[in-house]
Amino acid sequence: MEKFPLKGTTLSNNTIPQNHQHTLTTYQSVDTKVENSDDVYFVDDAQSRKRNTPRDSNLSSDDDMLEVNNTSSHHGQNTVLSEHIRIDDASSHISVDSDDIPGIGQYDDFHTIDWQRDIARDRMRHRYIVKKKHDSIWGLIKGAHDAWSGWLCVLLVGLFTGVAAGIIDIGASWMTDLKFGICPQAFWLNKEQCCWSYNETTFDGGNCSQWWTWPEVFSQSKDGAGPYMISYMFYIAWALLFASLSASLVRMFAPYACGSGIPEIKTILSGFIIRGYLGKWTLIIKSVGLILSVSAGLNLGKEGPMVHIACCIGNIFSYLFPKYGRNEAKKREILSAAAAAGVSVAFGAPIGGVLFSLEEVSYYFPLKTLWRSFFCALIAAFILRSINPFGNEHSVLFYVEYNKPWIFFELIPFVMLGIIGGVIATLFIKANLFWCRYRKTSKLGQYPVTEVLIVTVATAVIGYPNPYTRMSTSQLIYLLFRQCGVSNADILCDYNRNFTAVKSAIEVAAAGPGVYKAIWLLVLALILKLVMTIFTFGMKVPCGLFIPSLCLGAIMGRIVGIGMEQLAYNYPHIWIFSEACSTGVDCITPGLYAMVGAAAVLGGVTRMTVSLVVIMFELTGGVRYIVPLMAAAMASKWVGDALGKQGIYDAHIGLNGYPFLDSKDEFQHTTLAADVMQPKRNEALHVLTQDSMTVEDVENLLKETEHNGFPVIVSKESQYLVGFVLRRDLNLAIANAKRMTEEITGQSLVLFTNGNNTQSHSPPPLKLKKILDMAPITITDQTPMETVVDMFRKLGLRQTLVTHNGRLLGVITKKDVLRHVKQLDNEDPNSVLFN
Amino acid sequence: MYRNNKEKHIFNESFKNIMLKHIFAVIVIVLICLSGSEAQYDDKRCKCICPSLLSVINTTQSSSERKTYIINVPPSECKCENVVLSKVGDQLKGKEEIFCSRCDCKYENRNTTIIKIVVILVIWVISLLVIYMLFLICLDPLLNKRIHKASTNIGYHEHNNEDDDSSTAPGTFHAMGERGNVLNRVGHQQDKWKRQVREQRRNIYDRHTMLN
Repeated sequence: MEKFPLKGTTLSNNTIPQNHQHTLTTYQSVDTKVENSDDVYFVDDAQSRKRNTPRDSNLSSDDDMLEVNNTSSHHGQNTVLSEHIRIDDASSHISVDSDDIPGIGQYDDFHTIDWQRDIARDRMRHRYIVKKKHDSIWGLIKGAHDAWSGWLCVLLVGLFTGVAAGIIDIGASWMTDLKFGICPQAFWLNKEQCCWSYNETTFDGGNCSQWWTWPEVFSQSKDGAGPYMISYMFYIAWALLFASLSASLVRMFAPYACGSGIPEIKTILSGFIIRGYLGKWTLIIKSVGLILSVSAGLNLGKEGPMVHIACCIGNIFSYLFPKYGRNEAKKREILSAAAAAGVSVAFGAPIGGVLFSLEEVSYYFPLKTLWRSFFCALIAAFILRSINPFGNEHSVLFYVEYNKPWIFFELIPFVMLGIIGGVIATLFIKANLFWCRYRKTSKLGQYPVTEVLIVTVATAVIGYPNPYTRMSTSQLIYLLFRQCGVSNADILCDYNRNFTAVKSAIEVAAAGPGVYKAIWLLVLALILKLVMTIFTFGMKVPCGLFIPSLCLGAIMGRIVGIGMEQLAYNYPHIWIFSEACSTGVDCITPGLYAMVGAAAVLGGVTRMTVSLVVIMFELTGGVRYIVPLMAAAMASKWVGDALGKQGIYDAHIGLNGYPFLDSKDEFQHTTLAADVMQPKRNEALHVLTQDSMTVEDVENLLKETEHNGFPVIVSKESQYLVGFVLRRDLNLAIANAKRMTEEITGQSLVLFTNGNNTQSHSPPPLKLKKILDMAPITITDQTPMETVVDMFRKLGLRQTLVTHNGRLLGVITKKDVLRHVKQLDNEDPNSVLFN
Repeated sequence: MYRNNKEKHIFNESFKNIMLKHIFAVIVIVLICLSGSEAQYDDKRCKCICPSLLSVINTTQSSSERKTYIINVPPSECKCENVVLSKVGDQLKGKEEIFCSRCDCKYENRNTTIIKIVVILVIWVISLLVIYMLFLICLDPLLNKRIHKASTNIGYHEHNNEDDDSSTAPGTFHAMGERGNVLNRVGHQQDKWKRQVREQRRNIYDRHTMLN
């Protein structure tokens, strides 16, 4: 029994796993050798014969292989035979790439991709192109095109991401100001642009005669209760209009455009297929909906969805290059670069974008992708900067330039800010998750548009009376980040300053009544923003989280900063201030505290560290604040990790049950592969045999089961493994064969072997060796799950086969692993969806 | 019978699609023409923000009022001395330096043409989407209903479920002319898209399996 499979074709069982890598690199010259053999498959394959013509081309891999052949051909019959089989194995990978069966290599909706298979396919394709390069000029051009297509693709993605971001920025800032009034001479200008060349104004901007507020449009008066009510009504009405448009456009045209998109992008980049999630309609509706929902004054930002928009652009452009469009694993390289471009344009932080892609969203991030992301982020930032959407020479509204030193003692309040930020962030995550779960399970989820309208009305009605919540969130962040100076006339800067001093020295001064009023308003704004953001994030409109959390942190930081400043003013001789503050100049900058606080809350919410700090210092253009930002981000992350396990994106991935195998978690249990694998004890394993099943049998199996793939074995008795075949490929191949050749009937044998059979039945056999994966990853049943989980993460597997004494025992899929992890963490394993 | 109705339906849809595309092209052309003749607002400025004059002349009084002085000069001349003093120099009576040291001058530029094009484009896109949405909500069900009524005898109910997908595949309409084929393909694409959106809606709004 044991000896039997060593004869004949099944020898491949032993030789292939070890030699797989080797044959993959060297198959081509061997084709030449076997060309004259009576192997039916090769005679059929016109492509492979064509490939054999340039025999004299001396690639290094060819040389290697010839050597191997020479040495091994001294051995007996067995080795020669095994070589034949190996050749076929390699060729089976090529044929996956060949176009004879349409649709092979693609995936269905909500399926996990097989990184190994896709990367192997790409390697084959690449090798083929390199080989052809020496044949003709056309081959050379093709090779060159192939080499630069990745860079070209990310260039296009960067270009269009920059343009899209510019459109969104300009559109949103115009529409936001539409809530307050209009510029009658040039309706397309927002308030600041409208008053661009207006002379002799007091700076609070209230009386630029070219900008008409809504009460001015209808009556002549400007102040008083009546006009205030008109403004109030217009504010609410516009907000309602924008929000309802946004919600209904999303509902009508592209439901996938709602939300921030980052949890889904993370899942997609980890190797999941969501058809239509990165499509054209999603792109259009997300961009338009984003402009509308930001303009509605809701507590949401456009920065997170920008990542989704960039990924849509990446996906659309990858279809121009079949290398990426037809290969899901390769496509993810472009998407990673696009995500970097998204953050790059969102914050004007190209390096921060690359690091964000690396730290937060990407799963598979080789150096090549890093460089492409770098380039893509650079192009996108450059384009947005040339569009200059805010007229401030920067790509974000709240760019501030700081050059003040900080004193060592200030690290303590910075760490404190980090701690408070972590607490606020955890509070936010827990509350938001509770609310989202409630929305998912209760009747509330049936009224998505109504919900948006109610939240909008509430935000507008409560927000309008407070000037800090009335203005757009980006403007508020800008105000909080800024230093008090002559150009900042907000009540936040109402200090009793001596005006005779020179301007550059903005010394510590006693706070005037305006500052105290501002603090109260800011506290109210903090509470309102926190509560409303909890209800807003997760609504069915495009909504991001970066800006609201930055804003929460900035409010908190500014309040603490003002507190510290007044402390230093009132007690300038305490030892902590004694060195720096004795002169009264450049002592404490409240704006810096706002920035550190913003970083702390954002860090607590998303659990980013490196990328967050880089984004923040790219926002301020000051390298000297890296240490304070790092301290705050670290403290916030620790507090956040201590109070709640996950960041908001991971929590939302968990809530939706996306099949995301987090590489951050450690698997600490002692279970074995045998405990996890399917089928369980008293169920049958559905398999195919390599040469004894008819088409009818296979079709019945496909009908009765719902597995996404089937192991192929030698025979039911021996259970020796041959390979693995995917359900989708099987379906396609059978359908294709039935269409192409009439003779295939239900009685035809399905052969996964070479087909050197002698029996001549009336119906010709259906040969499916091409779609068979002869090198599936296998483990033994005693493998600890730690190792298995590691393999799934690092190799990006879709499934692995479990063997015992060399016989097939079962299958472990990614879904099984995810369920197992959930089960061991005492969570409901059925919450894992799809796959 | 069934095919004819189906045809008509598809023709309507695709006609509308083509119309939309035409409208879009016209808009783009108009926009490009408009953009040439735009110089109403300056695209460069030098902006100086200064405290009110009173704060210098009468130092006991502190006021939060600010004045801005805007002038169109080259960037190298964007200084308080050039911008502000030319206007109010005579009122300062020798305190020019104190006053100027507290002014904040910044040279800025912008591009009103881009802003104009973008805003008009955004308005157009939104209104097109709204019109199309209203069409899909109001008119489309009416059209569909008529087709449904006409074809109930043949058992044609939902032309968007899975079974029908194969029967409306583009390959089955080989007999028709080239033009019919194009229209068919457009109509077919649109049906496919509608089906996808319906599926997405089911996932998100009904089953709540995604994007919660």
